[in-house]
Amino acid sequence: MSVGSQAYAAVRICYFNGIIPLWRSPLLIAAVFLTPFSFLFFLFVIAPHALFPYGVVGGLLFTALFTGSGMLNDCAYLRLERQLQQVFVASPVSPLGYILGMALSELAFSIPAMALFLGILFLVHPVSALAGIGLVGLLLLTWLMATSLGFFISTLFAQLREIWPIGTLVFSVLAVLPPIFYPATEIPAAWRWVAFLAPSTFAAQLADRLVGLGGAITTGIPFVDTPYFDLAGLLGFALLFGAAALFFARWRER
Amino acid sequence: MVVLEARGLSKTYRKGPTPVRALDRVDLDIERGRLFAFLGRNGAGKTTFIKIAATLLLPTEGEVLLFDRDVVREPSAARRQMALVPQEGKLFYHLTPREHIREYLRVRGVSAETTKSRTDAILEEMGLLPYQNMIALRLSGGLQQRTLVAMILATEAPFLFLDEPTLGMDPFARRQVWEVIRKATSRGSTVLLTTHYLDEAEQLSDELAVIEGGHILYHGTSEALKSTMGREVRVQFAGTLRPEELASFGKVFAERGRTVVLTTRASVPELTELALARGIEITVGPVALEEAFLELVGRGIEEEE
Repeated sequence: MSVGSQAYAAVRICYFNGIIPLWRSPLLIAAVFLTPFSFLFFLFVIAPHALFPYGVVGGLLFTALFTGSGMLNDCAYLRLERQLQQVFVASPVSPLGYILGMALSELAFSIPAMALFLGILFLVHPVSALAGIGLVGLLLLTWLMATSLGFFISTLFAQLREIWPIGTLVFSVLAVLPPIFYPATEIPAAWRWVAFLAPSTFAAQLADRLVGLGGAITTGIPFVDTPYFDLAGLLGFALLFGAAALFFARWRER
Repeated sequence: MVVLEARGLSKTYRKGPTPVRALDRVDLDIERGRLFAFLGRNGAGKTTFIKIAATLLLPTEGEVLLFDRDVVREPSAARRQMALVPQEGKLFYHLTPREHIREYLRVRGVSAETTKSRTDAILEEMGLLPYQNMIALRLSGGLQQRTLVAMILATEAPFLFLDEPTLGMDPFARRQVWEVIRKATSRGSTVLLTTHYLDEAEQLSDELAVIEGGHILYHGTSEALKSTMGREVRVQFAGTLRPEELASFGKVFAERGRTVVLTTRASVPELTELALARGIEITVGPVALEEAFLELVGRGIEEEE
């Protein structure tokens, strides 16, 4: 199949695995929205209101990052429980077409929640159109990175029971602990380097800079203190996880 | 024309404490347009063979060529020629049968027009029209399985792997599926089928192979397999007789309170006389594939032991 056909296959997979279930079970939207909104509500109650915009940006990034968790669970479920991934492997659909289709499905589930958070952000902390476009681009890059990681992990295990705790662990570490809902400068200085082990730190710093919030870590090293470093870090992780999904994931069992 | 060629195919699983040799130097040829049945007990190696040939699993040794393309080195080229019903596959719970068939064809690159006509046709042929718009969650297990098979057969792929396609179906549904499978082969598709229903293999297959412990024990037609037993008739007495009385006629065994003799045609008159003399009702019929299979596999196990 040509590149165009693979892209079409991906759109089709998104339609039947993302759009149709959303249409038939709109509650799925609430399920995606609920966790980040709970975090935001919690922050609203206990934290100074000046930190609220960080929480809203955090909600956006959390939603984008958790597409990876959804990807991991859905791909593992389709492969191990329903044997449906096998139906796509033994067909002209390429791994890229399948992965992209599944990732687009996850994006479809998350778009309503992202739109809500973007709406809240524009209300509480208005940003320019350019910053808004930049933020959308950043969310897409985060989605690509997270879903690639989710797919890669989904292929490593033979039992659903092994995958569930690993998925929860990985994506909680990615989306809850790093400075997503709070400024990175809140982390004690001695531990700030640890934050850079998580790709979500780069995404969060870049998002905060884009919407004009402060709080990025400063090191005194010229390049490291710029948004380009955050972008390079996020791109690096996205490429790494993308390569893992495409070249090292087990499309075929060994 | 040979479309599937396996040479020295072996697979060893090394996941547990002791390695398991699931396939051991298997050689097999399947010709175009044939319906080839793979028979064997659970764990005999049937699904492992299908998984390797369908590019789902890497072999330990050997090769499989599908339409002259090596499934390990050129999987993309091989995949263009195939479609698979996986063992115990299940549907997307939120899609209807019509959506399953339509979407799978569209994903595979079939045009909208052809998709429409093939979807309509297969829904009718498989008796799925009354259920076409019900989501899978509400379908019975048999209807779900029928939908999965319909989705794969509608591809009209040159090579169809069907791993226990009629599992859980009622006898009517099985016969509907058989008809559609026959149509697929008459159209030129080649089918590799595994099944535990030996009547299905007997009805459908042009050729079959019996596999046990990763080795092919038999490869040929079902008729030839039955003839290897040297006994072509099954005589069933509606009561019990002493095995010693019948031993000289052939193989004797008890089945649900009845005595069964697998014997030659020439022995039938004598056995009929015996039954009349005792006032016992008898039933005479051809030996079923199941008996030949049990004898062959049983022999294989004994030799191994």
